[in-house]
Amino acid sequence: MMETPKDQESLDLTTMHMGPSHPAMHGTIHIKVQLAGERIENAEVNIGYLHRGFEKEAEAHCWQQIFPYTDRLNYVSPMLNNVGYAMAVEKLCGVTVPERAQYIRVIVGEIARIADHLTYMAAQTMEMGAFTPYFYVMKGRDWLWDLLEEVSGARLTHSYVRIGGVAWDLSEGFKEKTIEILPRIDQVVVELDKLMTRNRIFLDRMQDIAVISAEEAISYGWTGPCLRGSGVDYDVRKAHPYLVYDRMDFEIPIGTDGDNMDRYMVRMEEMRQSMRIIRQALDQIEPGPVMIEDRLVVIPQKAATYNTIEDMINHFKLVIDGIRPPRGEVYSYTEAGNGELGFYLVSDGTGRPVKCRVRPPCFMGMAALKQLIEGHMVADVIPTFDTINMIGGECDR
Amino acid sequence: MANETEEKKTDKTEPPGPELVEISIDGRKYQAPKGENLLQFMLEQGLEISYFCYHPGLSVVAVCRQCLVGLAKMNKLVPACQTPIGPGMEVDNSSDKVLAARRQLLEFTLVNHPVDCPICDKAGECILQRHYMDWDHAPSKIDHSKVRKPKHVDLGPRIVLDDERCILCTRCVRFMAEVAKDPQLVVSKRGSKAVLTVAPGRKLDHPYSLNVVDICPVGALTDKDFRFKMRVWELSSTRSVCNGCATGCPCEVHHRRDRIYRLVPRRYGNHDINDNWMCDFGRYTYKAVAADRLSLPRVQGKETGWDEAIGFVADRLKVALEGDRARIGVVLGADATNEDNFAASRLAFDFLGAPRVYLGAEPEGDAGDDFLRDNDPNPNRAGAAACGADIGTAAELADDLAEGKLAALYVVGERLHLPAEALAKAQALDLFAVQATHDRSPLVQSAQVALPAAAWAEVDGTITNRENRTQRLRAAVAPVDFARPHWQILVQVARRAGLTLDFVSPRAIFEAMQQEIELFKDAEWGAELPPQLLRYAGSRG
Repeated sequence: MMETPKDQESLDLTTMHMGPSHPAMHGTIHIKVQLAGERIENAEVNIGYLHRGFEKEAEAHCWQQIFPYTDRLNYVSPMLNNVGYAMAVEKLCGVTVPERAQYIRVIVGEIARIADHLTYMAAQTMEMGAFTPYFYVMKGRDWLWDLLEEVSGARLTHSYVRIGGVAWDLSEGFKEKTIEILPRIDQVVVELDKLMTRNRIFLDRMQDIAVISAEEAISYGWTGPCLRGSGVDYDVRKAHPYLVYDRMDFEIPIGTDGDNMDRYMVRMEEMRQSMRIIRQALDQIEPGPVMIEDRLVVIPQKAATYNTIEDMINHFKLVIDGIRPPRGEVYSYTEAGNGELGFYLVSDGTGRPVKCRVRPPCFMGMAALKQLIEGHMVADVIPTFDTINMIGGECDR
Repeated sequence: MANETEEKKTDKTEPPGPELVEISIDGRKYQAPKGENLLQFMLEQGLEISYFCYHPGLSVVAVCRQCLVGLAKMNKLVPACQTPIGPGMEVDNSSDKVLAARRQLLEFTLVNHPVDCPICDKAGECILQRHYMDWDHAPSKIDHSKVRKPKHVDLGPRIVLDDERCILCTRCVRFMAEVAKDPQLVVSKRGSKAVLTVAPGRKLDHPYSLNVVDICPVGALTDKDFRFKMRVWELSSTRSVCNGCATGCPCEVHHRRDRIYRLVPRRYGNHDINDNWMCDFGRYTYKAVAADRLSLPRVQGKETGWDEAIGFVADRLKVALEGDRARIGVVLGADATNEDNFAASRLAFDFLGAPRVYLGAEPEGDAGDDFLRDNDPNPNRAGAAACGADIGTAAELADDLAEGKLAALYVVGERLHLPAEALAKAQALDLFAVQATHDRSPLVQSAQVALPAAAWAEVDGTITNRENRTQRLRAAVAPVDFARPHWQILVQVARRAGLTLDFVSPRAIFEAMQQEIELFKDAEWGAELPPQLLRYAGSRG
């Protein structure tokens, strides 16, 4: 809670509410600020306005039914959530997905990461008054969504990943289309770079604003681009490689000052690195199965289901009772758009999780927002909040 | 399933158990009763083992071979259900040999099993499905067509047989021969042509025939009433007690969205009452719950709201209270819970000052048998009779009415049978009110005030059966239309009449009742078990 004003000076403070529904706040979030003139003396950040009970909802659903809900966690990069959740259940079941499925997960995941960062860039510039770059950038995101739509059938809520692999193979000509689109995305990034990165107005509002040291960022539990902006080279893809990231040649960009500009620059470079990863993965990927062959995990093919009693029962039991991972608990973590996306799952051996806890990366970012904006101008709240890239679906679950 | 400890046996002295011997199962030591069935012991220990033909309530035949286990110093695998426990026995329940045997047997069982799960009523609580997933889960190796058998054989008034689904475990045959003691079912022909059928010229029409539907491990025998009505995993189960007669068989009410679909015996219920069985009549009593309901309060033939109806009753009651209190008659119901009857008797004795109460009950019939069903069709005669020291019968009430001894009559329940003259007399009283569930008896239709009461499946409470055993009813569905529980109506009427009958819940009444009435002293209210979705209850198979 905010402190009670003690002296005459603090009585002069103006209390102002930003949000929870405000044109300048992307997402429903409430920041209560006390201002001395335009300077923020105190801030109180309230989250939770987009709480939909994901974790409780998961307890009433079969393990495989939870994918559509994960789409709605970080809804600017649903593929990465799909992958994160699938890997957690696979860790619980102790299964390894086929190599081709691992490559596909990397490819669609990195496409989602670029889309995630482009969305961030668009919001960042737009909310600071630069509306033109927003359209330039969103155009690029649409191309990426075209790709993901071709793979999954949905532009946003893909639910493409499955426990044990992915739903189906990449579509025909996907590789060529991706190779064709990547330079265009690169062009979008270059364009944005030219427009914003050396723009005086932009720099004035980004540089040396909301600085956080590496130690403090770690103490808040920061991960992802925000932590790397403060100079810590922690990226789950490098620190604890999963899928086929250990076969990829890519760099982890880090910042030096931990200000808004560094968090922006890290993401700018990450998009280029993601494109490198996608190109390598497309080169390396070999034909093969995209699902494991485990009849206790994967539903049988429809033709067999309708024609043999064995597969019929198999299908029936997997759908009605759900797959049954062994008793136990796991914590599985992947690098999502905003950092380490963790799933802590507890199984009692039945078809539904006893607990499905999400560690949302931007939740930790939001914890530090109060500290970041205090002492700055009220206008700095928006760009700072943008660099945290709070996504309501993920933060509030 | 949740804990099963709520009902206590009235007879607490157990006969001395059999001698315990040490055996080992998969290297783990157990103290097991000598001579007992090995399969039953393993199931009691929670060990995983597959079986089809074994049933704790039936004889052992070991025809399915699905419970094969290894025994030390025995070359061949043996069926656990046919193996008595002996000292030093070393049981192998998990070696590759044992698991392969179970897998292969399931493979054989499935060779001719039709691909029926999507249209099979048993799907979701099917033992074959469960065992396939637990022990086999291998793809089909069969490339020839399945043996065709009769697909819908009309076995009798209540049951349809699908011979293709039948796995010939003979549970139903043994049930009819051993429990129903009327061997109506047989297996005829041999090998792959073997079919389950009724004896020539017979129908499967025994009053306990529906038990074979419960114990059928697959969907071969289906209940015509439940057939194609509802997928079982969508149903919720609430533990209650059958209200069909004075026996009070513990049962599960299976319902969905405030509609009851079936009653089944509780699988691990109070075995002294009904073992695993229920009569067909009892199972179908669920239909009466929703039929012919009194939906709105009715005052002098006109439907009205609760407020008005209760106001009317209270006003007339006040008038009666100013006169001779011995002229107020209260009738308890053998169809109402103990709590309802206790509240009514409190109202009568403590507040109205009535000298005696009457008991409304259906007369004993001859529908009973020597197994479960009782001649007395009232679920709670014993409990209602315990709620007052001086209880008059319906005949005595008719006499009192004829002699003009009463000025007002308040009836709880609808089982009171009065001759037409007595009803005419009652209609002429200052007050003639009936709290009833259904709108079909002359009693309800001739009453000045008819108040809609909730049915047994809609209330929490206890009832007491013919052996004076008090068991718990749990509300499975919401009361139909505007019905309210009996006790609640009584409390509301009393309050409006200025009397402080201040019970707040059936549980509170139960606790008060335990203090006062000897019969309920050892009764237990039991755990609050909310309805459980069968999908989450694990396979019932």
